[in-house]
Amino acid sequence: MNTRPLTPLLALILLVALVVTLFPIFWIVMTALKPPTDWNAAPAIWIPSEPTLINFLTLFDPEAIGAFGVGGISESATAAVFGSILTSTCATLISVGIGFFAAIGLSRYTRVNRFTPLFILSGRMFPPAAIAVPFVIIFSAIQLIDTYVGLIAIYVAITLPFATWMLKSFVDEVPREVEEAAMIDGQSRLMAHLTVTAPLIKGGLFATTLFIFILNWSEFLFALVLSYSNIETIPIRLAKYVTATAGTLFGVQAALAVLAMAPLIVAGFLIQKHLARGMTFGAVKR
Amino acid sequence: MTVPVLQLRAITRTFGTLTALDGVDLALDEGAFVALLGPAGAGKTTTLRIASGLETPDTGEVLINGEDATALAPKDRDVAMIFDSLALYPNKTGFENIANPLRIRGNSQDAISERVTEVAQTLKIGHILARKPRTMSGGERQRIALGRALVRDPAFFLLDEPLSSLDAKLRVELRAELRRLQRERGASFLYATPDYSEAMAVADSVVLIFDGQVRQVARPQVLYDRPADTRVARFVGAPEINLVEADYDPADGGRLLLGGLMTQASPAHHYLFNGTPHRFEAGFRPEQILIAPPGTEGANGKVLDSEPLGLKSAITVETSAGPLRASVPEHIGAQLGIGAPVTVSFDVEHSLCFDPQAGTLLER
Repeated sequence: MNTRPLTPLLALILLVALVVTLFPIFWIVMTALKPPTDWNAAPAIWIPSEPTLINFLTLFDPEAIGAFGVGGISESATAAVFGSILTSTCATLISVGIGFFAAIGLSRYTRVNRFTPLFILSGRMFPPAAIAVPFVIIFSAIQLIDTYVGLIAIYVAITLPFATWMLKSFVDEVPREVEEAAMIDGQSRLMAHLTVTAPLIKGGLFATTLFIFILNWSEFLFALVLSYSNIETIPIRLAKYVTATAGTLFGVQAALAVLAMAPLIVAGFLIQKHLARGMTFGAVKR
Repeated sequence: MTVPVLQLRAITRTFGTLTALDGVDLALDEGAFVALLGPAGAGKTTTLRIASGLETPDTGEVLINGEDATALAPKDRDVAMIFDSLALYPNKTGFENIANPLRIRGNSQDAISERVTEVAQTLKIGHILARKPRTMSGGERQRIALGRALVRDPAFFLLDEPLSSLDAKLRVELRAELRRLQRERGASFLYATPDYSEAMAVADSVVLIFDGQVRQVARPQVLYDRPADTRVARFVGAPEINLVEADYDPADGGRLLLGGLMTQASPAHHYLFNGTPHRFEAGFRPEQILIAPPGTEGANGKVLDSEPLGLKSAITVETSAGPLRASVPEHIGAQLGIGAPVTVSFDVEHSLCFDPQAGTLLER
């Protein structure tokens, strides 16, 4: 990696970039900690006058905010958090799992075929809105609407092209001979891919998993049109904090947003060390 | 008669429009060291990959110990292979790289340690077993790759230009070691190399392959002394063989016209051509081109180039028969500056005769 000295100008640019990036996060965290009186204050209050966790409590106990004289929330966000964790986790694991084998298939077992990889990606070329309504109709007919299975299936279908393409680029970098050496050493093709290819693209698998998880975790449109009352995800729940008596409950909304961000930030930190390159260095002479 | 451990019969393999192998036959006897010699792109690697099961032939069959193995996966063939690129497991230590074949076969931990230690001792790599391939030198990686193959006791070994990336000194050292290991264990080696001197140095027998076709199968010295055709003759030996257009005339006890130079024919030519005039292509190895001071009997020439090679010098001489490559003792080569006049004559007795059209060797 090439490094260059930190000139005052560069420092200034970085500082501006940092503020632009971090300010929304700062604001949402502060709002989540504000009591109802601070939410809409004019001029805006930057640091909460009396920091409180009431917004977070209200997410899971709708009556809690009543202590501040605000009412009108009838539902807890528990179902939405559960729904998001369930759909995102399942859909991500299935997508990356299938994507891994698809990537190996494309990278190793297709002879000069430029069509299949592009065809896989073609599903992504439709605007989601164009296929959302047909899916409502189809899923109603086969009774997958308003079910977690249905939502997971859609999420897998949407993210699989990404998973396949990302993983293919990692598999392409693993020298074919290393897998073949394992086959000569006595392994079947399948075992060679599982015991040699998979560990060598560990970083790629982690990165792809996180990327797909973020897509699933933040997905709004399909979750909205494919859910009625049985299932809910965090992005859907986020849009529901509007009451007749108190208007939009910014603090509660912000608290849920903070919860939604948390796993992504944690995962991002965890993944950093796996993104390091050079995993395959020394395998073959180049 | 014993059955060869590996036999390829009429193997053909095409990749798209490219014919990589065209009817290749090859046999590897137990305990033999066979070199598969050919220029880059001749089909050496494809041959080894088909023998290993990594590739399947379009037509033809692979026999292992006399049994049809054409459709068997590599794991069911009992074969060890050393790849051109080495293909070590980058995430595993030297020890684990060598131990891998044993682990896959479910050997006990004790048996694995014992066997790996033994192999490491033979290859003198005990001190690098704990390291990962990326921290090893080229020679060390080479030995780990050797270890991974030698730790097993397979029916036969396939080696795909295993020494190609090493420097000359290490290459000579390791190939001698390979030869020793192969003899000690009575192992059967099929060894692909583009380097004829390497093939000559290690192999009992050489299979020469050009453009996906086996051109000649012979002991190394025979390949040099009696090449099947002019292409083989040019590929084997350095400096390259001299090919000179020749006319044999039985008159006056036999005369040869070599590129315009008249010389006495040898009795061999008389027998070969049955005493009738004949046109052919004469092949002279560099040591069969004789250099003498100007004024002696022979053709006049001028030194074009001189290349000291240690004991010998390779010199190129411009003559009326075209440029001729000769091999002379170094102290003589050193005296012959570029442009120096010399006299050239031919060791007609030991020359080779090739058909002028087909290029095939003419023999009695």
